[in-house]
Amino acid sequence: MLKTNLSILAVVIGCLAVFTWVANAIPQLQSDVPEDLVLSDDVTPAELIAAGEELYNGGGGCTACHGLGERAPNLLTDHAGTGLIGERCANRVPGEDCKQYLHTSMVDPNAYLVEGFAPIMLDASRTLSSVQIWAIVAYLQSLGGEVTVTGADFADDGGAAPAGGVVASAPAAPVLGPTGPLDPEELLTRYTCATCHAISGPSPLGPSYEGMGSRLTADEIRTSILDPTASAAENFEAMLGIMPPIFGNIPAAELEAIVQFIASQR
Amino acid sequence: MFPGVDKTSERNVPKPGMTWRSGAGPILLLGALALLVMAEPAFAQVPAGRDYGDFPVIGGRAAVWIAAQVHLLFAAFVLGVPMFAVVTEAIGMFGGDERYDKLSKEFTRLLLVAYSATAIWGGILLFLLVTIYPTLFSYLAQIFNLSMWIYVGLFFFESFTLYLYYYGWDRWKKGRAKWFHWGLGIALNVWGTIVMFIANGWLTYMMSPPADVTVDTAPQMIQLWTALTNATWMPINIHRLIANVVFGGAVVGAYAAYRFLAAKSDEERAHYDWMGYVGNMIAIGALIVLPFAGYWLGREIYEFNQQMGITMMGGFMSWLWIIQAFLIGILFLAGNYYLWVGMGRIPGAERFMPYTKYMLAVLIVGVIVWATPNTMIASREEFAAMGGTHHPFLSVLGLMSGKNTAVNFMILTTFLSFLLYRRANKEPVVPWARTGTIVQGAIFIIASAVVLFYGIYGYRVPTIVRIGFSVYQVLTVLACIIGVITIDLLMLRGATSRGTIRWGRMPARSQYALFILAVTFTWLMGLMGFARSGIRQHWHVFEVIRDTSPWAATPALGYSSVVISACVLIFFGLVAFIFWLGSLAEKPVISSAGRTSAAGGIQSDLQPAPSEG
Amino acid sequence: MNTKPWKHPLGQAAIVVVLAYVLFEWGIWLLPPLFGVASAPVPATVVLQYMGTVVVGVLIWVSDSEERWKQFKAPIHRVMVDPRQKVLRTALMVTIPLLVAFMTFDRVRPTVSAPAALRSVHPAPPGQIDFRGETMVLNGLENPLRHEGDLEEHYEEGKRIYVQNCMPCHGDALDGQGHFASAFNPAPLSFQDPGTIVQLTESFVFWRIAKGGPGLPREATPWDSAMPAWEDLLTAEEIWQVTIYLYEQTGWEPRTWEEEGAEGEEH
Repeated sequence: MLKTNLSILAVVIGCLAVFTWVANAIPQLQSDVPEDLVLSDDVTPAELIAAGEELYNGGGGCTACHGLGERAPNLLTDHAGTGLIGERCANRVPGEDCKQYLHTSMVDPNAYLVEGFAPIMLDASRTLSSVQIWAIVAYLQSLGGEVTVTGADFADDGGAAPAGGVVASAPAAPVLGPTGPLDPEELLTRYTCATCHAISGPSPLGPSYEGMGSRLTADEIRTSILDPTASAAENFEAMLGIMPPIFGNIPAAELEAIVQFIASQR
Repeated sequence: MFPGVDKTSERNVPKPGMTWRSGAGPILLLGALALLVMAEPAFAQVPAGRDYGDFPVIGGRAAVWIAAQVHLLFAAFVLGVPMFAVVTEAIGMFGGDERYDKLSKEFTRLLLVAYSATAIWGGILLFLLVTIYPTLFSYLAQIFNLSMWIYVGLFFFESFTLYLYYYGWDRWKKGRAKWFHWGLGIALNVWGTIVMFIANGWLTYMMSPPADVTVDTAPQMIQLWTALTNATWMPINIHRLIANVVFGGAVVGAYAAYRFLAAKSDEERAHYDWMGYVGNMIAIGALIVLPFAGYWLGREIYEFNQQMGITMMGGFMSWLWIIQAFLIGILFLAGNYYLWVGMGRIPGAERFMPYTKYMLAVLIVGVIVWATPNTMIASREEFAAMGGTHHPFLSVLGLMSGKNTAVNFMILTTFLSFLLYRRANKEPVVPWARTGTIVQGAIFIIASAVVLFYGIYGYRVPTIVRIGFSVYQVLTVLACIIGVITIDLLMLRGATSRGTIRWGRMPARSQYALFILAVTFTWLMGLMGFARSGIRQHWHVFEVIRDTSPWAATPALGYSSVVISACVLIFFGLVAFIFWLGSLAEKPVISSAGRTSAAGGIQSDLQPAPSEG
Repeated sequence: MNTKPWKHPLGQAAIVVVLAYVLFEWGIWLLPPLFGVASAPVPATVVLQYMGTVVVGVLIWVSDSEERWKQFKAPIHRVMVDPRQKVLRTALMVTIPLLVAFMTFDRVRPTVSAPAALRSVHPAPPGQIDFRGETMVLNGLENPLRHEGDLEEHYEEGKRIYVQNCMPCHGDALDGQGHFASAFNPAPLSFQDPGTIVQLTESFVFWRIAKGGPGLPREATPWDSAMPAWEDLLTAEEIWQVTIYLYEQTGWEPRTWEEEGAEGEEH
């Protein structure tokens, strides 16, 4: 009887050993917890994009549907000849710019359902925080478009009344604003802009800021700062490529102050 | 809908939490101490305690996981066995064969000892939950308080009904009293089912909370009934109801196998051989319908949350289904093997033996196709030779069309094995016997053709159409099973026998097949439990309460398999111990039962549980 | 043994196992191409899995009838106990452990190959790229030089560019066997290979030349491609010319846009 008992034990242990071995022999995938995203509102676009990209490909779970497959509109590459998401987003809904469109599509997914797809997406605000959603919007904009999300967007959320849905019950905490008044002229010096662009009068290297606001809109100015090769001012074509594309690292609030200042130079 | 920065940060702060992974466990007995917990003022405030407890060496999650899984295994046994105990008792009552009555009583005796183990592990689970995941537990208690009280109440009813049912067996043996006794058995099932449904409500709430419950919803505001009857509640109920029968049958089979191997006399051997056969029959029969319930559950999960469904089937759990295919392959092979070896004890079975090798070939090809991974594991050189991660030829087999076809063929083959086994020593006497057999054969051929047609056609249509095909295939197989078994029942009425089954004349290796069946079923239950609760990922209550414990990440299969193996080992260790205890006090009931079966079993030879087919 | 080996269960079992192995190792690889179906060698893990299933099946077959099981065991038993079989027994006792030892050695022996990694050889291209500050829409883009100027001239110019820039790695025969080729893993592509440029549109080739290894999208990682991004060194016209050279020299026809649409399965 001992022999029988031992052989039963051997069969049971053997079975378990085989199952455990097989389960350990296959690729081991662990589903990690998405990192908490804490961004202050002087975040740089580069940081936003990086955070958004990580969420998009990881904890946000976006790629489950918005990969290269057919479950949902393709957000990584061109979708049905309409271009990358960053460029097509602005043309999707009249009256909504790219940023608004993307954000609405995430928190109210059925608002602008893309033709040919079923309304299967869930409100992203159930799984993601406001900062995370904005980071993903920034990342999507960066795919073929220009990032216009700033820290101000998610700082605003505390006050803005939600469009339908549950009203946040938590009292609004003090918003982390910029540390002090933003002096654009001081910023232009700090970020060495003034080395090439004179604030008034003849400019050392690049076009002067004087009267720039009458030629360019704020959006164009922002574009030119973030992507200096995007366009060249008249008579400055030869200088194209000299301005380094490093100003995306300026905190968004400060960048915005700079942009508004330049736009006001009429 | 636009939470501000403040809210965001609050949302990321640790939240009350409980086991995100309670194994597969309906948290039976959870309510037993609910009153106590509710009385603690500290628990009344949800955000009060935000910490998680810890457990030495293995960590809090593993402790709760093991407690929940072992508790669930006992609970599944305790809930599954009464279902067929009542059926076997009825067969004994209406068929007039006392052998079934004895069998039913023996089932119930196993139940009695397993019952206290269920309660003990339920208590362990409850205390671990309260100490390790206190805050989520109190969150759940605030929603489910009333159901927890009802749950405790039902426990009283259930255990007393069970005591009456078992201890009153010999007293209420005849006439009207027997009917009363049978009614007790049915009542036992009713209590058990309600208990399970309530506990299922708690755990499915964690998986699929109603859509209007969000992070900000206070637990007191959630309607109990809405929370209980969430999207996955009913599918889980049905799935578990069937799975419990499968599991009960398999464990009973293993018990019989053990007693068979330990038997000292031929009579005992004959009795336990027969009991093992019945257990195996119940398990395999119920297993065949389990995929339908699983399909429904899967569909509900997809409907509840697309991403959850994709995480389950295509995301980080996709390899889990390869393991599942491997396990189910073992179940099919072991189940058929047991039937084929069993044919050796049936006079007249020789004429069917040559066909087993073809059925085996179909099964083996089926297993090979079914377990073919779509994304293969290979070295860099091998990938280079394949030109990617997909094999140009074999990846065709890895798709759903191929796999569904394979598994349907495996079900059909298993059913054919069962038919041949049933027919082995019988000679039908009805005049249309030949026509009937031809019709049965035709049904098989048509069913196979339909399954094959949809399998091949599935490659030529878009995904969305193909998903529908698996339903057609499954319905075809079901129709085939029902049609053939109906003809068979009519055809074999009054059939003459080529000789009685020589119960007990079974080689020992067939009994080991029963052990493998039981271990594999148990392990599979653990694995599916991991799948079910793992798809919640880092949420205690999906998208409502986040798991912020150190164990929030969903572990890989390797780690999970070790935990599952530990649970299975604990379960069988305890079962062996409990059964051994039971046999210490056992009166020589068996010898009389064995005599009945050896002598009186001749007439009814092959009747056991045909309804399960 | 009185019976012929192929009539005896042990012999039959051995035959089935060997046949199955031949089928899995070579049959799946070599047979389908005979019928015009693409195939490739089967990875070792899959062969192992299939063989495991077959061995289980064979064991079930030999043991599902008492008689066959006895027959099957008889010769094994004889070898184990019969004094006359001492030589065979000793030989088996030596060879089987040796075989196991060798297999173990073979598995754990350090090799120079990198750990297994999944990578997409032809990643999906972006819809458009930024080329020297200009946006180029790749979707539907044809080689503009095919319709303007003298093709012969473009070919000659492309040849010059190729020899100056590409030949060191991709080789003078466009076979990926340049002087530096053996230093790289992944090796430079052979354009002669029927699996490379012939599968792709010219715009895809343009994209790959312009953006090189650094410009590969995420799904193509892990990727250690040493291919430089040529956009800073070659003009768009030069890249189109070298593309023409690649196709003309190898004799392949570029994939055209009309053929698009036959997408692979999901999963």
